[in-house]
Amino acid sequence: MENAVIIQFNHVTKQYQNDPAVLKDVSFEIERGKFYTLLGPSGCGKTTILRLIAGFTEATTGDIFIDGKKVNTIPANRRQVNTVFQDYALFPHLNVFENVAFGLRIKKMKQAQIEAKVKEALSFVNLKGYENREISGMSGGQRQRVAIARAIVNEPEVILLDEPLSALDLKLRTQMQYELRELQKRLGITFIFVTHDQEEALAMSDEIFVLNEGKIQQSGTPIDIYDEPINRFVADFIGESNIVPGIMIEDFLVEFVGKRFDCVDQGMNTNEPVEVVIRPEDLEITTREQGKLQVTVHSLLFRGVHYELSCTDEDGNEWLVHSTKKAAIGDEIGLYFDPESIHVMRLGESEEDFDRRLEAYTEEDHHAK
Amino acid sequence: MDKRTTPIAKIFLIAVFLILYVPIFFLIYYSFNSGGTMSHFKGFTLDWYRQLFGDTRMFIIVLNTLVIALLSSLSATVIGVFGALAIYSYKRRAKNTLLSFNNVLIVSPDVIIGASFLILFTMAGIQLGFMSVLLSHIAFSIPIVVLLVLPKLNEMRPSLIDAARDLGASNWHVLSKVVLPFISPGILAGFFMALTYSLDDFAVTFFVTGNGFTTLSVEIYSLARRGISLHINALSAVLFLFTIVLVIVYYFISRRSSMKTMGVRK
Ligand SMILES: Nc1ncnc2c1ncn2[C@@H]1O[C@H](COP(=O)(O)OP(=O)(O)OP(=O)(O)O)[C@@H](O)[C@H]1O
Ligand SMILES: [Mg+2]
Repeated sequence: MENAVIIQFNHVTKQYQNDPAVLKDVSFEIERGKFYTLLGPSGCGKTTILRLIAGFTEATTGDIFIDGKKVNTIPANRRQVNTVFQDYALFPHLNVFENVAFGLRIKKMKQAQIEAKVKEALSFVNLKGYENREISGMSGGQRQRVAIARAIVNEPEVILLDEPLSALDLKLRTQMQYELRELQKRLGITFIFVTHDQEEALAMSDEIFVLNEGKIQQSGTPIDIYDEPINRFVADFIGESNIVPGIMIEDFLVEFVGKRFDCVDQGMNTNEPVEVVIRPEDLEITTREQGKLQVTVHSLLFRGVHYELSCTDEDGNEWLVHSTKKAAIGDEIGLYFDPESIHVMRLGESEEDFDRRLEAYTEEDHHAK
Repeated sequence: MDKRTTPIAKIFLIAVFLILYVPIFFLIYYSFNSGGTMSHFKGFTLDWYRQLFGDTRMFIIVLNTLVIALLSSLSATVIGVFGALAIYSYKRRAKNTLLSFNNVLIVSPDVIIGASFLILFTMAGIQLGFMSVLLSHIAFSIPIVVLLVLPKLNEMRPSLIDAARDLGASNWHVLSKVVLPFISPGILAGFFMALTYSLDDFAVTFFVTGNGFTTLSVEIYSLARRGISLHINALSAVLFLFTIVLVIVYYFISRRSSMKTMGVRK
């Protein structure tokens, strides 16, 4: 079990001079061979976490472990970790081959071996035959692949990727997402991938850490995080959602927009104020009579796969609906949803409490069965 | 470049170049004069050059000048590059202060620098001659090298250094495999600039040189004071030719190195 963990952060805080702390008491564990994503808005500290792992900066307080060893004072050049930089940071005075060979030359590997390894790494990223190109003669996507090849050729235990796809156009980006995921599976090494694009995070990761303002808000599989966001920030950041204030009347019964609904959440105090999340794709359009909510459509967007309707209820709450059915602007429609579609969030609940509560009632489920 | 130059601008440009170059060509033209004066051209001769190349004293002086120029510009380049690296590593405030100190040395008059070196060397008990000239040339070349290398360093993205360390590079490897190659155009420019500064320096050398050791510019000055001789013209012509060769060499070297990184520099 101990061996599975490759990187561990233990109450790590990072502060630059007298600025407010960039990372506030961050703790997490990263397991071997998985694809992790650090997701969060600009400036939340994603790059800082990578820089701490790579060893470009030191933690102000707290400990960082790689492979069970405390690495707080070990310099970057002696860590078994390689980085793909946000700006690629390829060496402009070296050609593609020499860029990729850089790490191997430092290790004083034999020329024949270097050639074999560089060739292999370049074919891994589909850049066979580009060995002698200058970096200035490569496109953005190609440079990015060179940067990846330069990292994987060293066979590190962990590869850190800092928004490597953000400079690419949508199509190339989607293609590279597949390629990266594929590459990670083939190599079987740990990837820590940074992005502020939630779709990218959901599509690629085994595990996601959602960050905001220097704190990990929530960690878990893409499905966990999407279905059970811990708070308003996560719910809002991961996909689109309808969030309204409500009151938890008792277990399995929640009140919002003046009505009471059955739900599947429990373990909260009676009459506790909460926030209620319903995903736009979980709302179905029906007639006013059959709907659990009555709303008026006030705008309609065609999104390709579905229509995006924006509606308001009598209280003035806005409801976003994704539906393949069309409705006209000004229509009065009903919205139907299952009890399972309601997700109740407690205000200011910590991740530990959240997990404990979730575990408690999944166990109850097991006993009931 | 694509903006069309007006005729007036063209004429102005041509006039400026004429004013700058005509005296030089005038000088060179009369170096072939058999008449012995600069007033009228009597006939073509290579006597002055023959005399020049047969003059061993002059040969030694030329050699002195070249040795001083090469040694001083090489040492100044090495010291200047490390100086620039040191300045680069400081935080912004200290960086600007250091850079200002550096620039003051460049703009302060040669006479003052020369005089102060003279005082320094006499106080330190260093004999005036080869060593004192060499030291002072190194000293006044260093700020030039720093000035030319520092912009290249600032142009380098810090992530390049991170990337090198990430790939296992020690401090030495970072310097030798990433930083120095990246700033090499600046180093080259600094070296050539130091070389030309040393070659044509008169004022500082004049102060710090002693008996028995002179460089070309000082020698030309003393020759000229003794009266006009076309000897000087021939010497100047050779010197001018040498400078042109240096410029051409620099042009080709810098073009080759910039072709490699073309398009990457912003
Ligand atoms: N060297 C530094 N000195 C001072 N503050 C810094 C430094 N580096 C980063 N910061 C601050 O730390 C915070 C987090 O920066 P970080 O680069 O980790 O953000 P990020 O999540 O990677 O953002 P982005 O998505 O824009 O890349 C920012 O507020 C930034 O201003
Ligand atoms: Mg970043």
